[in-house]
Amino acid sequence: MGETWRRTLAVGLAFLLAIAGTIFFATRATRQARQFHKANEPIHEWMSVPFIAHTHHVPASVLFQAIGVQPRQPQDRRSVRHIARDINRPVTELMAQLQRAIDTAAQPPGGPPR
Amino acid sequence: MNDQLLAAVSLYGAPALFGIVAIAAIGVPLPITLLLIIAGSLISQGVMNLWWAIAAAGVGSILGDQIGYAIGRWAGPAVVARLSRVFGKRANLEAMEAKVKAWGGPGIFVTRWLISPLGPWINLASGTAAYPWHRFLFWDILGELTGAALFISLGLFFSDRVMSLYAMLGDLTWAIAALLTAIVLGYLLVTYLRRARPSIPRQSPL
Repeated sequence: MGETWRRTLAVGLAFLLAIAGTIFFATRATRQARQFHKANEPIHEWMSVPFIAHTHHVPASVLFQAIGVQPRQPQDRRSVRHIARDINRPVTELMAQLQRAIDTAAQPPGGPPR
Repeated sequence: MNDQLLAAVSLYGAPALFGIVAIAAIGVPLPITLLLIIAGSLISQGVMNLWWAIAAAGVGSILGDQIGYAIGRWAGPAVVARLSRVFGKRANLEAMEAKVKAWGGPGIFVTRWLISPLGPWINLASGTAAYPWHRFLFWDILGELTGAALFISLGLFFSDRVMSLYAMLGDLTWAIAALLTAIVLGYLLVTYLRRARPSIPRQSPL
């Protein structure tokens, strides 16, 4: 009898844990779904400049200009890390420049609202 | 390493996708869902071809799965035990063998795309449990092509929201996994409680 109750108790606790996990992850997924079109896409080192341009709706030429790099071909797919290595500059610096260029491009003409 | 693989898909397209998904299907933990979503985004940007991407991802994963199955079936217990030590514990593989026997084809199907972390284990376990190869191949092709088409399409439609989509899908997958676990445990709990309840003798009608 004792063994049965111990097993029932363990399964009961695991059941409660699974319910808690369901609620936790479902809540997070719902929150992310709500912010899906509002949240800013992060920039990562593996992304190419045209990829970043696409996800932020900014022309790739603007971003290449911001980091002072001449694209090798119309579709230069090198990653930001690869470009940083090629031009011998820290990748964090390039990423910060790209972010600034995106922020500037996102501002309405005439500067930020007062 | 993940960053380099993601950059390789962006730079080299379908051939890189093929190689990476094949390696992941054998059991190396790589972010395949994210790769497929990125492939979808690259298709939307005109860098990759939709059919080539689905074919590369599908055929690559099927090839990796078949290698996993072949190792389980024919490489012998010593190799399987060594692989189990590399990727986890022997007990895990035994538990997976039991799951293969219990779930069969639908189990193989869902572990290709919905609960994909279990996929490499199910491949090995299907081999060691001598699950019929033609059935394994059928469910494998069905599951891998479903997964490739699903995640690449999602990346194609939400091509500018790749990272947000990946984060949301990750949480959604965990929520589904936790819910399925809760259902199984709930069923077990009810069964145990019924067994534990002392039986009341029925009174015969007068």
